Amino acid sequence: MKPFDFYAPTTVDEALALLDQYKDSVAPIAGGTDLTLELNERKASPAVIVDLKKLKELDYIRMEDGKFHIGAMATHARIAADENIRKYARILHDATRQVGSPQIRNLGTIGGNIAQSSVAGDGLAACVTLNADVTLRSVRGERTMNINDFLAGEGKEKRNSLVADELLTEISFPVPDLKHTATAFYKLAKRKSLAISVIAGGLVVSVDDDGVCTYASMRAGALGRYPMHFATSEQYLVGKKLTYATMLEVLPIMHDQVLEANKSRPWSVFYKKEGVQGVFKKLFADVLGQLGIEEVQA
Amino acid sequence: MNKITVHCTVNHKPVAVEIDPNKRLLDMLREDLNLTSVKEGCSEGECGCCTVLFNGEPVTTCCMLAGQAEGADIVTLEGVSVDGKPDAVQEAFMEAGAVQCGFCIPGMILSTEALLAKNPNPTEEDAKKALSGNLCRCTGYAKIVAAVLLAAEKKRGEA
Repeated sequence: MKPFDFYAPTTVDEALALLDQYKDSVAPIAGGTDLTLELNERKASPAVIVDLKKLKELDYIRMEDGKFHIGAMATHARIAADENIRKYARILHDATRQVGSPQIRNLGTIGGNIAQSSVAGDGLAACVTLNADVTLRSVRGERTMNINDFLAGEGKEKRNSLVADELLTEISFPVPDLKHTATAFYKLAKRKSLAISVIAGGLVVSVDDDGVCTYASMRAGALGRYPMHFATSEQYLVGKKLTYATMLEVLPIMHDQVLEANKSRPWSVFYKKEGVQGVFKKLFADVLGQLGIEEVQA
Repeated sequence: MNKITVHCTVNHKPVAVEIDPNKRLLDMLREDLNLTSVKEGCSEGECGCCTVLFNGEPVTTCCMLAGQAEGADIVTLEGVSVDGKPDAVQEAFMEAGAVQCGFCIPGMILSTEALLAKNPNPTEEDAKKALSGNLCRCTGYAKIVAAVLLAAEKKRGEA
């Protein structure tokens, strides 16, 4: 590890002041499950590290005004154990409870997962499917933006919108109305534990009182640089009565989209264009069961 | 690079360690505190050999900077034994024959301690889940899982 100076502020304001002061060569560290390895392998060598672990004000999960507000420093373990998340945001529960291992879930944070914007970030895939908002703060002020706009940003290394003096502080999304909306996550990986997602599928669907689909959000991580958006499949489902048979009709569309998008990666596309269909069958069965429409074994 | 002093509780005793900040918690425990039960396996959070209890929860110390341990309560395998004698979990691992080369065992035992502190009646599935971040390259895990269940019995006073 190359030398660096280390600061562990106890308030967000102090942390932001440090990021501003050292913005030419600073890295914030949350859980550390990525950055520590990069430092150890000398892939990262910032002059200053700002530890966020002492920022208790960013470690929260609240339901307020019909919205979930999750502090960036909430760990995967904490989110997975939260009763409200389990009940109302199954997608995030199922994503966080399968990250890495118990040890990694005790360290890794949702804010770190989203700020890193890794190709296979499970928390990221879930939050994108939820169409969440992210809040970024710096000494210059605060901005809240949709996570898709966040990922389209041209900030540090063009990874997302974060710039050097900014901290991701909160993730928020509306609390789903369970009578009409179901959310689900399915992780396809080589093992049950300590596995990186091969496909991280996320699904949110809403139906009206007649069971007609009014909204669909279909995403999958690890199929491209950012969670893949199955917009045509979503449009196909909206306006139709939601059944397993109807939902299966989008599988060929998904197959073609994965094939098209990954043509340059022939070694993985043969597997992933089939895999994505298996993943979404599981997700369809899951949401139909939750909505009480149909019990399917997928 | 300015040195930092890390104040924390290690194995039930308060310590203050003055170190260069470019160290992992794993390195501080091994090199500065001589706690060599904390093993370095994969160095990337995949094997669980460097597991310690951090405020009661298992974490992999290769994924943390030493400075992040400020104020924490840390327990390594050295802090598990009672008056120099093996505790129930260690006894169970020996009795069940769960140890072959032993390199992964400190982590296995600490993950077991964390499980049993929360759940005194674990099922086999609970045990497997609790140890899912600890890899063993010698055994088939059967005896390790048996050891966890035996440790639970011992802690409950049934074995």
